[in-house]
Amino acid sequence: MSPSVGVVVSWWPGIAVALPLVGVAVSAATGWSERRRASVLAGLTFGSLLVALGLIREVLAGRMPEVHLLHMTAQLWMVLRVDAAGALYGATVAALGLLALTYAFGYVQPGPRRARFFAFFMACLACTLGVAYAGNLLTFLVFYEAFSVLTYALVVHEQTPAAIAAGTKYIAYILVGGSLVLAGVLLTFFLAGDLAFVGGGFLPVDAPRGQLLTAFWCFVVGFGVKAALVPLHGWVPDAHPAAPAPFSAVLSGVMVAAGAFGIMRVVFDVVGVGLFTSLGVAPWLTAIAAVTILVGALLALGQEDLKRRLAYSTISQMGYLTLAVSLAGSGVMAGGLVHLVHHAFMKGTLFFCAGLWIHVTGARRLGELRGVGARMPLTTAAFTLAALGMIGVPPLSGFVSKWWLGVGMLEIGAGAALAVLLAGALLAAAYLLPVVYAAYFAPTRPGAATGAGAASRAGGATPTGDPASRGAREAPWTMLGPTLAAAALTLAFGLGSHLRGFPLQLAERAVLAWFGGG
Amino acid sequence: MDVVDARPILAPFVSFLCAGLVFAVGRSIFWRRFFTFLAAFIKMGLVLSMLPGTLRGVVYVYDFVEFTPGIGIAFRADAYGMFFALVSSTLWLFTTIYAIGYMQGDRDRVRFFGFFALCVSTTVGVAFAENLLTFFLFYETLTICTYPLVVHAETPEALRAGRIYLTYTLIGGGFALVGAVMVNAVAGTLTLSQPGILSGDLGTPTLAIIFTCLTIGFGVKAGIMPLHGWLPIAMVAPTPVSALLHAVAVVKVGAFGVTRVIYNVFGVELLGVLGFTVPLAFLAAFTIVASSTIALTQDHLKRRLAYSTISQLSYIVLGAALLTPLAATAAIIHVANQAFAKITMFFVVGAIARTTGKKHVSEIDGIAARMPISMAAFTIAALSFVGVPLTAGFITKWYLALGALEADAWWFVLVLIVSALLNAGYFFPIVHRAYFRPAKEPWPTLEEGRRFETAKTLLFPIVICAAYVLLLGVTAEVPGMPFSIAQVAVESFFAGGGVVP
Amino acid sequence: MNAGWAEALPWTIVLPMVGAVLTPAVAARRPRLAGTWAWGVLLVASALASGLVYQLATTGPFSYDVGGWAQPYGIELRFDHFSAWVLPLLLLFVVIVPFSWRYLDHVMPDERRPAFYALLLLNAGGMIGFCVTGDFFNLFVFTEVVSLSSYALVAVGGRGLAAFAALKYLFIGAVSSLLMLFATAQLFALTGSLNMADVAGRLADVGGGPAVMVAFAAYAVSFMVKTAMFPVHVWLPDAHAIAPSPVSAVLSGMVVKIGIIGMLRVYQVFFAADVLELGAFNQTLVWFGAISIVMGAFFAIFQDDIKLMLAYSTISNIGYIVLGLGLASPYAVIGASVHVFNHALIKATLFLAAGAIIHQTGLRTLSDLRGIARRMPQTSAAMAVGAVSIVGLPPTAGFVCKWYIALGAFESGQAPFGFALVFGALFIFIYYVRMLNAFYFQEPVHDVVIEANEAPWSMRAPVIVLATLCLVLGVLGGIPLSFVEPAVLELLPFWGN
Repeated sequence: MSPSVGVVVSWWPGIAVALPLVGVAVSAATGWSERRRASVLAGLTFGSLLVALGLIREVLAGRMPEVHLLHMTAQLWMVLRVDAAGALYGATVAALGLLALTYAFGYVQPGPRRARFFAFFMACLACTLGVAYAGNLLTFLVFYEAFSVLTYALVVHEQTPAAIAAGTKYIAYILVGGSLVLAGVLLTFFLAGDLAFVGGGFLPVDAPRGQLLTAFWCFVVGFGVKAALVPLHGWVPDAHPAAPAPFSAVLSGVMVAAGAFGIMRVVFDVVGVGLFTSLGVAPWLTAIAAVTILVGALLALGQEDLKRRLAYSTISQMGYLTLAVSLAGSGVMAGGLVHLVHHAFMKGTLFFCAGLWIHVTGARRLGELRGVGARMPLTTAAFTLAALGMIGVPPLSGFVSKWWLGVGMLEIGAGAALAVLLAGALLAAAYLLPVVYAAYFAPTRPGAATGAGAASRAGGATPTGDPASRGAREAPWTMLGPTLAAAALTLAFGLGSHLRGFPLQLAERAVLAWFGGG
Repeated sequence: MDVVDARPILAPFVSFLCAGLVFAVGRSIFWRRFFTFLAAFIKMGLVLSMLPGTLRGVVYVYDFVEFTPGIGIAFRADAYGMFFALVSSTLWLFTTIYAIGYMQGDRDRVRFFGFFALCVSTTVGVAFAENLLTFFLFYETLTICTYPLVVHAETPEALRAGRIYLTYTLIGGGFALVGAVMVNAVAGTLTLSQPGILSGDLGTPTLAIIFTCLTIGFGVKAGIMPLHGWLPIAMVAPTPVSALLHAVAVVKVGAFGVTRVIYNVFGVELLGVLGFTVPLAFLAAFTIVASSTIALTQDHLKRRLAYSTISQLSYIVLGAALLTPLAATAAIIHVANQAFAKITMFFVVGAIARTTGKKHVSEIDGIAARMPISMAAFTIAALSFVGVPLTAGFITKWYLALGALEADAWWFVLVLIVSALLNAGYFFPIVHRAYFRPAKEPWPTLEEGRRFETAKTLLFPIVICAAYVLLLGVTAEVPGMPFSIAQVAVESFFAGGGVVP
Repeated sequence: MNAGWAEALPWTIVLPMVGAVLTPAVAARRPRLAGTWAWGVLLVASALASGLVYQLATTGPFSYDVGGWAQPYGIELRFDHFSAWVLPLLLLFVVIVPFSWRYLDHVMPDERRPAFYALLLLNAGGMIGFCVTGDFFNLFVFTEVVSLSSYALVAVGGRGLAAFAALKYLFIGAVSSLLMLFATAQLFALTGSLNMADVAGRLADVGGGPAVMVAFAAYAVSFMVKTAMFPVHVWLPDAHAIAPSPVSAVLSGMVVKIGIIGMLRVYQVFFAADVLELGAFNQTLVWFGAISIVMGAFFAIFQDDIKLMLAYSTISNIGYIVLGLGLASPYAVIGASVHVFNHALIKATLFLAAGAIIHQTGLRTLSDLRGIARRMPQTSAAMAVGAVSIVGLPPTAGFVCKWYIALGAFESGQAPFGFALVFGALFIFIYYVRMLNAFYFQEPVHDVVIEANEAPWSMRAPVIVLATLCLVLGVLGGIPLSFVEPAVLELLPFWGN
């Protein structure tokens, strides 16, 4: 087991993380015009995206770029090391981040809080990229904790009582989770000493079982908070509606995924498949994942607030990734990784659309969306596309990931899991299609809609009245563009899933490292 | 390798001399400042000049006087002492700058700065004490010299606080004295240069009495519950005093004493057999959690910080009580980590009080807009206490937890985690209010001609200390940074055997 | 040089005595000259004493036979390590006398000055003689000289109550003297000699027995009364508080120590003979010492008059010394012996500082003296140093003694007394904190205080010198220790316990 094969020293992972950090300073800089600031921020994020894509190239060429960031003490050091899974996740983060940023230029109101939003947004982006490229547990922990804490400022951005309550709830959950992760890291360090991620894991097999189990559950519960595993999901449905839409997209698309990504790292790069299986924790994890998928989806059904509904959907969808990890099969894991990427863009699209509706019409609740399809056709089309993808309709990206998940499950004979998968898809249809239906086909009730819309609009939105009563009026292009781009990616990933450099190939590469030849 | 050198005695002497000069000519503002700064720089220079030697393993010693053979005043700058001296002399410099700004126009500044210098003198004396007698000498002197600072305001409230402070610390001092004398009687020596001077043949009851006496004696200043009562009350003192003395010097001297007792009087080997540290560890753990819980309920900023101090000090005690190298490292490094972070907080709180007059958590809504730099510094310090990676606090938490695992005491890890959450629970609301709550009424605008949010003398130490908190978190491995000194110290503690990593 | 200074031994005693007699003559025309004269005499005497101590340090203890008569029939003066006490004693007098010059202005009319200084010189001479005499009869004689001059000193400076206090002092002192005389007679009856070295030799032949025990006990009780240990302390507070402050310093700091030094002398003799079993006696001393510490502190707490409070703390401190003697372990006895001097120094500091304050303001209670430190910073600082020192907090002279006595307690396995000692001292501090608070941290209530000025230099300088010494001897505590250590180690094998 020699993971160092192909390790090359390269500054590029560091640069990918650093570019958005420069953006933090830019956001805070006074005396810049909004326009100039926006273009510099976008440029930086775009640069980061390019680097991330370049890193994918490197990984596909069989290299593993690595850079040592910091040696705090002999035992504590930080290293960035890009493997296939990391590259995949990193590129997703950068891409969705760029889209959300562009979207945010239009969405976030001018004012003193705008600079704060962008500063924290860029910092979160940098840290999430750091999570993606982290080469050892400590680095992972550092970036994970950092973006978790920084997220707080974005959740409470609106500073309404509801937002502040959501923020408090969020930070409480996250801190508890982060502490458990820390405990897990500590225990791992105590047991194994070495912290660098290794495909196949590095925890000693002969360590006391109790300590191994403790470490494992610390990790799972800790990351599970972020990954919104039921019953640790409490913060998700509150935080998402409270946050500004572009951030909801990122939060749901890549940050919740960071939790699942952490579980994945732990199972495959710390514990190792062999030990994971022999510890006997897999069935439990499977059960939790299944419960998460089903409960999340069922709860989503009952939500009247669109963003809440989408938040529950995220809970449910992230369950797939955990489910894949728990099954520990190479095929199913490839599907899981791909799902991570695909879900990011689909959920990003959905939140973008929800944000546009809020922005233009002030409609937050399902009932207020009646007839919006006529008025904002492009937005509604994007929403529909992403919703269908989420359900798993071919040839959209959601179908590809579900397909590989399903095939992988069949490979290892996990019939029950397959049933959960299908049930989840059905439920997804049940909670997403009514939205589409309402937007396109539901009869409008002008009076009620106007009143509700006006009453529920957020501070930033400027509704222009009843959604259906006037002609088509889309949001500005800064916001619509990213929405459509994300939707297009949903389609592209579905159609071109087998192309070189697309998620599927990278996922297979990653799985290879974890499962050996299997 | 011991080298005879006068610097260990000169370092405390410099500020002693400074105190004398301040008392003598301190009515002139210029001379008062001149001597204080001169002494602060000379002292720092002296301590720093010994640092390269310390890292090489050289120990500077200086025997001052001997009363009777084996009993006398002697100085010894070993790694742990150097560590402590370095922290206190550095912070003295910053606190002096801060105090000049803070005490502007206040009464009795001669007395204030004079006793301030005396306190620092004794702190460094404690750091460099070669034996328990010298240690106790400076320890008690510190108690007395702090008193005029505590009662500085001369209000009935301050006098009451002073009385309580003295009652606690003097009774503690009495226990420490009894313990030290007993050590002398049974061991025939008082030196702190060995990894343990007591032998197990003395029998458990005797050793238990000695350990209890010394722990109570030093534990009072270290604020171990239930001996902590004086600390929150002593917060009536002016902020620079609270900052340097009740977050750093006085309380750390207590914690320093407890560690000295564990590592140099008893030694890890003996304590490992005797098991006296187990109850101490439990007590420390209890203190950590209980005082953090109390801190949650405090609305007065300085009192909240005081309870946080109590909690943090027990980290040091806990680290020492675990008797493993990693935990010892944590205990020592936390002396610096807590000091810089807590002093930052006190500075900020003081700056807020001086600039806006607000002293309570509930009054500072939206203050970050008015005092952005200060609140940023406060946030950094808060993150450090929570133990967020890349801050100083994380290093402590990390090594302490590993030390606990090493000692097979996993539930201390749990305590640490709970404590980190509680820390978040009482510090983040402050940050939250400062940044995310709208101001209840508009904050007073800057005075004409002011460029910064508050006086420069207040702001400068805040920024430096906060920056140092970050620096401590990321540069621990750089030689000359506290961590490297701590490692030298830990090696000496575990040189006599015990648990080797 | 060898033995050269031994010749000065009798002159050291004679000089103050003669000086005392000459005082009225010298000051006949100008009464104020008496103070200067006394000072000059004491300066010369202390120069001689320095020579004696130098001799002691170089050649060890030495004797002088008065008139050249051989022992055991002549009068022997002996200068050993315990006698070295005369030097600090004289030096304290040298510091106290200048203080008294201005102080007496308000206390007594000028005509009385010659008498006052004569008594003071007599007192000093008596103490020197007490320390260096080599026979029991002269021990008694010098005790009487000291005692009588002390009564007179109490009475001479005061009005009204002073006479009463002096009378009380006189009565109790007389009882003590009678006991001492009885003991001396008993010893003479038993051994036929009064020379100490000789008595020791003959006692060994006589052996133990109740008669010897009675003599010893009579001495012990007599000296304990002189030291004002707890149950027999009643004479002390009034006398010390009412006397003029310089006299209080002398009485409280030095005269009470007569009892301790006398006890050590008696020990020397009886131990050399090795005829006593002292276990029970030591235990008694320990208990009385401990009780004295606590009771002295306890009474002090209820005083509002600063001088009364200082007087009570003397009882406490005598308790330390007695406790140290009773513990009978090397460190404890060394500590106790050194405290004989250190306490004198500290108490002198306190009484003189208090005297200066009283002199400047005319007030003497805490409640009146609030805020005085602002107007009299140097004197108050000296007072603070003295307070810290008397409680035995480092780094002051008091600490060194406390450390050694406590060390002795643990060394001899009597840990509870170690605790009693340490915490008893803290008990005392309760009161001193009140004093410091009043002086430093409370607003003045009296106009006198608000307008008070720092004391004149002739009063301030002695106070500052003494306070500085309190600090210096805390750090350089080894110097007095090195003097008593050989003597104590010589005695110890016989101490019992």
